[in-house]
Amino acid sequence: MTRIILNGREVEADPKQPLIHACHTHDSDVPMYCYHPGLTPVGSCRICQVEVKIGEMPPRVVVACRTPVTEGMIVNTEAPGAHDARRQCLEFLLKNHPLDCPICDKAGECDLQDYSFNEGQGEGRSVEPRRQLEKRKSLGDVIVLDQERCILCSRCVRFFEDVTKKPQLTVAGLGSRSTIETFMDRPLEGNYQGNLADVCPVGALTLKKFRFQARVWNLKKSFSTCGECSRGCSITVEVLRSAEVKRVRPRYNPEVNDWWMCDTGRFAFPAWNDTERLSGSATHAGASIAPKPSADPTAALDEIAAMTRVASAETIAIVASPWITVEEGALVKSIADAFGAQATFVSPPANDLKDDLLHTGDPCPNRRGLEELGFVAQTADEVATLLGGSEAGILIGERVGSLIGAERLAAVPSTSRIAVLDTELALFPAACVSIGVPTSAERTGTWVNVDGKRGRISAAKPAPTGVTALTHTLEAILARVARVGVDG
Amino acid sequence: MSYPTYLLDRTGLEDSHTLDVYRAAGGYTALKTILSGGHSPAQVIDMVKDSGLRGRGGAGFPTGLKWSFMPDPSKDPRERYLAVNADESEPGTCKDRILMQEDPHGLIEGILIACYAMRVRTAYVYVRGEFRLPYDRVAAAIEEARAAGLIGEKIMGSAFSCDIWMHKGAGAYICGEETGLMESLEGKRGHPRPKPPFPAGAGLWGQPTTVNNVETLFNAPFIVNRGADWYKSMGTAKSPGNVLVGISGHVEKPGVYEVPLGTSAKEILEDFAGGIWKGRKLKAWYPGGSSTGLLPASMIDLAMDHDSLKEAGSMLGTGAMVMLDDTACAVESMAVISRFYDHESCGQCSQCREGTQWLHQIFERIEAGDGRMEDIDLLSSLAHGMAPGKTICALADAAAIPTHAIVKHFRVELEEHVRLGGCPMKRTSERETVGAMGTRA
Repeated sequence: MTRIILNGREVEADPKQPLIHACHTHDSDVPMYCYHPGLTPVGSCRICQVEVKIGEMPPRVVVACRTPVTEGMIVNTEAPGAHDARRQCLEFLLKNHPLDCPICDKAGECDLQDYSFNEGQGEGRSVEPRRQLEKRKSLGDVIVLDQERCILCSRCVRFFEDVTKKPQLTVAGLGSRSTIETFMDRPLEGNYQGNLADVCPVGALTLKKFRFQARVWNLKKSFSTCGECSRGCSITVEVLRSAEVKRVRPRYNPEVNDWWMCDTGRFAFPAWNDTERLSGSATHAGASIAPKPSADPTAALDEIAAMTRVASAETIAIVASPWITVEEGALVKSIADAFGAQATFVSPPANDLKDDLLHTGDPCPNRRGLEELGFVAQTADEVATLLGGSEAGILIGERVGSLIGAERLAAVPSTSRIAVLDTELALFPAACVSIGVPTSAERTGTWVNVDGKRGRISAAKPAPTGVTALTHTLEAILARVARVGVDG
Repeated sequence: MSYPTYLLDRTGLEDSHTLDVYRAAGGYTALKTILSGGHSPAQVIDMVKDSGLRGRGGAGFPTGLKWSFMPDPSKDPRERYLAVNADESEPGTCKDRILMQEDPHGLIEGILIACYAMRVRTAYVYVRGEFRLPYDRVAAAIEEARAAGLIGEKIMGSAFSCDIWMHKGAGAYICGEETGLMESLEGKRGHPRPKPPFPAGAGLWGQPTTVNNVETLFNAPFIVNRGADWYKSMGTAKSPGNVLVGISGHVEKPGVYEVPLGTSAKEILEDFAGGIWKGRKLKAWYPGGSSTGLLPASMIDLAMDHDSLKEAGSMLGTGAMVMLDDTACAVESMAVISRFYDHESCGQCSQCREGTQWLHQIFERIEAGDGRMEDIDLLSSLAHGMAPGKTICALADAAAIPTHAIVKHFRVELEEHVRLGGCPMKRTSERETVGAMGTRA
């Protein structure tokens, strides 16, 4: 570590990182546009100017993103010369900026707004006409480019060069006629396009799916973990008015996903907004009787206790979804143990989304966590066979029904009696109990990713009325089946 | 006015661009002296250091010192390069063109001496794309020299091997900036690179590289042949040697002339260029290309060397003097120049990309009669925001310096434009045009 004096305080700086990294590490909010900790620094926007004094040389104003730290370097981020240089730089950046913040999706989380607020000048001095360029240029299915808002920081260009290693964007044209373009005007490709909207420090690159959807300051943000593959990228789930998930964004986690996430995970959230849900529970005591949904789960829980009481240990199937958390899994395991049954989870086949960056191709976010608890992975066919040969079964967790498949479930003979804890009402002949469960945007708990890293999921929004925490439901079932064990 | 000359001496000979004529005039003797054991690489660098030769590309950096920045090959065995900056594109400048066109072997010998001194095996000559004849002449000279065993393996039977390759630019001013030139040579956009790292540590393809101007290298054989003391006997103590000045604009005899550094601008204007044309008076002049800023006629007594011009708040630059007569408009001249920088800014740095456009818009507006009094201070303020040292390369400085200069020296004329709501001079279309910067031919 290198010791530097930052605003009068002696601090340690990583010698492999530029000065701006040390500033940010030690709570000095030096502005940045072209600099991004995950991308090669190019030193082109010139906003991160700070005053530096090395040895006996007179102090100089330099760009912090391209300045290496040296032992004993004295850094003053608040020097008048540095403030002045940043103010001037901002004036140039705003000269051609359309200032259409009222209709800009980035407003509220825009670096151009924030740094202008912090150290821009109160009045513009330009009377020249602003540059008129394309306001809504489609760059493919995910991203739309507003060339007028662009400040040409080139983060988007470097994202593809440095992160996906497949360059797709470039700065075309010279000087004040520069614009961001795709090669040969081709649409962007790949599963990581959404990250462009995150790396863009202004409102130039926005998500088509988030365009004009919400003012960002109205979004409540919760830290969570993506459940679309076993990588378990750290994410922020953003919810409007405690009801609708509007956006999912990656959250920095150097052990898992750095600053990035794939589009599969980013755009999986509409399922969380599905209102066609089973709220409450239903018992239908055999396929012939129509389900009777009820907000009170007592009858459904009692029915589960009743139907499992008639069964012997070898003929009870306990099948979980790989989306259940470690905490929920422990309860499921206890239930299985109460019967002396093997806890299993449905393991869907690997998909073709695997890549070299993040996506593992394994859709199970908590495979490792469940295996560590002693669960056995089974294919949908194996689960169907297991259910067919069982007197009773309990299917637990979101998506469990769809992972096994409607056709396989329909084929389970009605001599089996199956309870389903899922987000939908179970409508196959063997189903006799359905209990609604929360989605992973409505629960709190832990998943263990492919590398053994624990990822926390947290409730970003409340579950619908009548849907209680899955752990509560499992505890209630455990209490009943454990009592059976004692009584029986 | 009488003084020793050497730079242009051979250009008057018939077929001066051929190897035979060059050899007959004593060419390649400096290389022969070196390769036959006369001087070690370190001795050549010391000799050039001692001569006081300063770069002729604009910045005036001591050449020997620059060469000595190349790492010691015994400690750093990486491949290393010399890039020859022949992208002469500073407005008003055409000195390297003459050398390449009329005396290409002089350049080649200079390149070989520099390569020997810095232990470089590969040199690239980056030629401005518009220079067709100079390109062809240097290319032909390289072939001649290669056939004569002067380029390639074991030159003149010595252990020294060196090859020279040509590359044509595509017309961007920014590719004359040394790191922009390297990017362009690598086949990329000519975007200047932030320093550090400096080219001597990580230049072309990340390897140690030195970039030298054509005229700079052209001096090397003469220094080797005639010695540092001879070189120091010309010019001034801090800027020794002769320099090529290209004088253009409203003069009787525009051209490229060889003068000792420190010669007064007035002498060059009157003795060489025949004075201001049509019996008119000098109004203003650029001492060394558009980036050096417009100076008033009262400063024509200035000595043309690095330090005198720096003291006067200007620069020697490329020694490209552009003269404006008393019918020219200083504001229009700046409108043209600022348009050039707006057009040529690479666009990486915010201040330069937006600032050059802004300056251009303001100068155009004032010239067109839509100026405001506050625009004049705004020009200074913007130029202060752009430079010095606020951007990756010096293009922003090159736009800011002439802006400061016109506000300093021609404020009255700017104010007059604003007050009158237009240009008090005759419109360009009504004036004779010569294609220089004073007009929009």
